[in-house]
Amino acid sequence: MGEVWKVAVIESFNKFLGKVITFLPNLLAMITILILGWVIAWFVKTIVFLFLKAIQFDKISERWGLTLLFAQRGITYSPAHLLSRFFYWVIILITLILGINALEVAATQQAISQFFNYLPHLFAALILLVIGYLIAIFLGQAILISAVNAQMESAKWMARSVRWFIIILSWTMALYHLGIAEKVIVAAFSITFGGIVLALAIAFGWGGKDLAKDFLERHYKRKEKEEGTRDDLSHL
Amino acid sequence: MSEEMTKLSFEKQIEKIQQADLVVGIPSYNNVRTIGHVVRAVIAGLAKYFPKARAVLINSDGGSTDGTQEMVKRVQIEDFKTILTSHPVHPIQKIVTPYHGIPGKGSAFKMIFAGATSLRAKACAVVDSDLRSITPEWVELLIRPIYEEGFDYVAPLYARHKFDGTITNSIVYPMTRALYGKRVRQPIGGDFGFSGNLAQHYLTQEVWETDVARFGIDIWMTTLAIAEGYRVCQSYLGAKIHDAKDPGSDLGPMFTQVVSSVYRLMEDYEPLWKDVKESQSVPTFGFHYEVGLEPIAVKLERMIANFRLGVKDLMEIWIKALSPETAHWLKSISQLSDEAFSFPQDLWVRIIYDFAVAYHKGFVHRDHLLRSMIPLYLGKVASFVKENIDCSASEVEERIEHLCKTFEEMKPYLIERWGEG
Repeated sequence: MGEVWKVAVIESFNKFLGKVITFLPNLLAMITILILGWVIAWFVKTIVFLFLKAIQFDKISERWGLTLLFAQRGITYSPAHLLSRFFYWVIILITLILGINALEVAATQQAISQFFNYLPHLFAALILLVIGYLIAIFLGQAILISAVNAQMESAKWMARSVRWFIIILSWTMALYHLGIAEKVIVAAFSITFGGIVLALAIAFGWGGKDLAKDFLERHYKRKEKEEGTRDDLSHL
Repeated sequence: MSEEMTKLSFEKQIEKIQQADLVVGIPSYNNVRTIGHVVRAVIAGLAKYFPKARAVLINSDGGSTDGTQEMVKRVQIEDFKTILTSHPVHPIQKIVTPYHGIPGKGSAFKMIFAGATSLRAKACAVVDSDLRSITPEWVELLIRPIYEEGFDYVAPLYARHKFDGTITNSIVYPMTRALYGKRVRQPIGGDFGFSGNLAQHYLTQEVWETDVARFGIDIWMTTLAIAEGYRVCQSYLGAKIHDAKDPGSDLGPMFTQVVSSVYRLMEDYEPLWKDVKESQSVPTFGFHYEVGLEPIAVKLERMIANFRLGVKDLMEIWIKALSPETAHWLKSISQLSDEAFSFPQDLWVRIIYDFAVAYHKGFVHRDHLLRSMIPLYLGKVASFVKENIDCSASEVEERIEHLCKTFEEMKPYLIERWGEG
């Protein structure tokens, strides 16, 4: 009896030891990947930060309104600092996933594979949002200046409308790209945008037909009047 | 005509002429109404004042569709005795050529510089093609200081209406004077004389893809001549009357191209202007006389309204360039009634310097920064017109002199802000 028990314990121990011995290289691989990943992340962060400083990224961000956007949200770090840290954490995240994958645990393998398939979409969506925001700021500012120089009282309103339209459009595109409620997003955008255009058309053409008539009359009369009373200044 | 074909045809014409003592350039674009008079005045001027010199007239055209080029080829003075000029020893040659590159006055000038350099001209002049008041004497006044007196650059000096040339009077003249120390009264006059050496120097500069290729050419030529130590003078030409056109139509691009050229040149010549402490007058040629000028209409209310709209809506952009005190000052003057409206000189100088620093440091997208200045400029012009409505031309000149002195006195403010981290 004692012998049987002894064999059972030893076998069980041997099996466990075998599993540990099989698992140990995977663990070591994970630790190596994590250490290497951390070193690479730190190195990339430093290089990116120095590069961004060299190309005066903070100044460019200020010009494009990114610094203001961050400041409005209570973020006090410089854009160069934030972007370099972003790269750091992306590499750390990838390293962690690779480390877990190195353990060769069946349950996590499929999830990791799905994550890596999704990663390009996530990046694309992020790029869409950043580019959309930059275009919105640039065009909003350009329209504001042009409208003020054309002496349009509604300059600010026009600039804000354009800015928000582009921001909403970029969010719609980003969510669509991520595959989040694709149909709902497209339908919601189409309904909202179509609704706004229709509402404006009805309001202007029906509800405000007198106003529209008045506006057009004044616009053309003013144009005729202006042609007769234009400044004669030669600026140069 | 393709660029290659134009180049070949231009080179062929140059080869045929081989060498010239004098070159007069006329840039043009759809100026058939006036260019005939300008060409006749130039030919008469060359015949009367430089009968022994080999002279070439170059028309650099931007692709006119109204027959401008044909008009230049056709115009001749059949009998020089009828206008009391000597018959030139050498016939005056003409080169009529389209230019390529960015459409604009600067690109047209580049072609003229190329012609003058290839022909090894000693003295050159350029005159606008829409002039109604040009006389043969202009040719003498622009060329003689170079051809016989050893100068390198002749800027024009005109009799102008007291409210004309507002970008010149409020920005370009005071800035050029304060920065580079030379009192060239019309740095962007449009009609200039320059030596063959200077034409060659202009041609070698890499600026033909910038605003210099457009309206920025005049201030660039003047600044380069002053800053690089060429001998500069000015000649009094009398009244400058252009062909009628819509003056408001070009304000935006005209303003941004000229001001951006002034600001860009500040970056190029930073060590030089920082060391200039005071300004000096330059030699002046020509006989000064008063001329009767036609009154001009100015819509003050519209300018003030545009300024107020700018203060209301563009402050979010301006605040990146201006100090909080300046922004506050602007807000307070925007609240004045039309009758009480006044734009103080100190405030104006501070704004021009602050925007120069913002342009240099890239606080705002450069094109946006410059275009956002237009309501400020209109506010300043409105104030200037209001303050001088009953003043004589000489009193207005005194006020411009005072503005220039304010620019010079406040230069340490510019240097301090320019150097801030």
